[in-house]
Amino acid sequence: MPREKYRDHDENLRAKVDSYNLVENLETCLACGKCAGNCPVASLTPSYNPRQIISDVLNGNAERWLASEEIWRCFWCANCATVCPNDIHFPLLMMQLRYLATENKYGLKYLMPFRRFALRAREDGLTFGPSEKGREKIMRLRTNLGATPWPEISERAKAEYKELFDLTGATAYVEALSDEDEKPVDLRYTEGRITNE
Amino acid sequence: MNKERVVAPEKMFPEVPEKIFLFRSCTGSMEYPGTENAIKEVAKILGIEIVMDPDQTCCSGYLLTCSAYKPEFSLAVTARNLSIVEKHGLDTYMFCNGCQGYNLELAHIMHEHPEYKQMANDVIAKQGYHYEGKTDIRHVQEIWYRLKDEIAARVVRPLTGLKVASHYGCHYLAIQYGILDDAGYPTFHEEIYSALGATPVFYKERQMCCGYSVGRGFTHKETLVQPHLYKKFKSAKEAGVELMTTTCPGCNTALDREQPNLTKRYEEEFGIPVIDISQLIGLALGVPLEKLGFDANTIKMDGILKKLGIGKGDSDDN
Repeated sequence: MPREKYRDHDENLRAKVDSYNLVENLETCLACGKCAGNCPVASLTPSYNPRQIISDVLNGNAERWLASEEIWRCFWCANCATVCPNDIHFPLLMMQLRYLATENKYGLKYLMPFRRFALRAREDGLTFGPSEKGREKIMRLRTNLGATPWPEISERAKAEYKELFDLTGATAYVEALSDEDEKPVDLRYTEGRITNE
Repeated sequence: MNKERVVAPEKMFPEVPEKIFLFRSCTGSMEYPGTENAIKEVAKILGIEIVMDPDQTCCSGYLLTCSAYKPEFSLAVTARNLSIVEKHGLDTYMFCNGCQGYNLELAHIMHEHPEYKQMANDVIAKQGYHYEGKTDIRHVQEIWYRLKDEIAARVVRPLTGLKVASHYGCHYLAIQYGILDDAGYPTFHEEIYSALGATPVFYKERQMCCGYSVGRGFTHKETLVQPHLYKKFKSAKEAGVELMTTTCPGCNTALDREQPNLTKRYEEEFGIPVIDISQLIGLALGVPLEKLGFDANTIKMDGILKKLGIGKGDSDDN
């Protein structure tokens, strides 16, 4: 196996990825691999490996994960964090890896489905509020229970939720999501591995 | 924040709260509204008063972890919702592992980074709220476990002979600190089943994730979610599981709604109904069937009810 060459070494990558300082103990990673061993996604996609991604981030190498499909496969089940001997919250790193990837126009097709849900949540104050037909079903189920036909959420709650979208920049962020100049992603950690695909 | 990994129920609740704030879950009030209703009915039987507030909104955590929101928004939403609970002077009880996990994580971030708490408070101050960080964030299942002997004493429909298995849900176990049981091998759901007269079944993949978190059910359904769930249900079927319970309406959606697709793709029938643990407790405590909302399920409960000898007319035996 040839050693990996980092063509794009970036000394500030770790700070760039964890821009919200949510995974401050990342460098305490022992590379023990319990995360990969306990990962349900790794068991189906052997090239998805949290340990390797952490190592790339710490070593300033964005080349592989940024345009990888692997980072879009994580289930966020947090098994990795549960078994980590140093309590590294890898899912919170994953969330931010995805921010950086989409900022660089990678993986948008895996984010775009949620744009619609986010914009609807902005109106409803609830997430995954359905279309008209789905609404009828919910109202029927709730009425059968003797509950109010719609979850008891006030007009004030809806208005303020919407306002928080606007005040925190979420509206602008969600509305700007677009896959127009999307760059392709593929499985990038496959070298030297047996893969299922 | 709690420094102990596992906290015994008697230590978690030296006294059982008389009144709790129940945090509305979007999925638990829309996709499976029977969940919310079952909790209210069980709480009534156990003498716990439930307070809800129509001003509470979605926790926003699901789409945050899908990377569709930035943390600024979810921090503000969390601070606003929890400040509403604080006005009631109560602790917050979730019935969705997601709501609990996200709220706890975001509350923890605000606790560890005062600048984020300040930022969130600056935003919600415009709406007249202030979050202090006093309210504790718990899951209703923790109270059920604390009261399991009392629940056992009130069983009117014993679930004798029913083989029940658990799906604990990652976002409860992943809290790591201050939960009821060892996240590596929890058994408290199984203890609750025994209290209800049912037979707990341990299946190999019981701690396996539901696969629907962060929207993989929308983007990688065929590549990942279905093969993943197939493994789970195959091991459940092999162990003879008749009924599965969850403590998260999101997990319930994945495990219940995805089964017909698995049958179609793998040509294997599982037919394991998936309900919330509160619905199961409600069933055993004699809550009328129409108040438990099993009609929302894709995999129907009819076979289970028939096995237990519970009919539609049999609803006033409480």
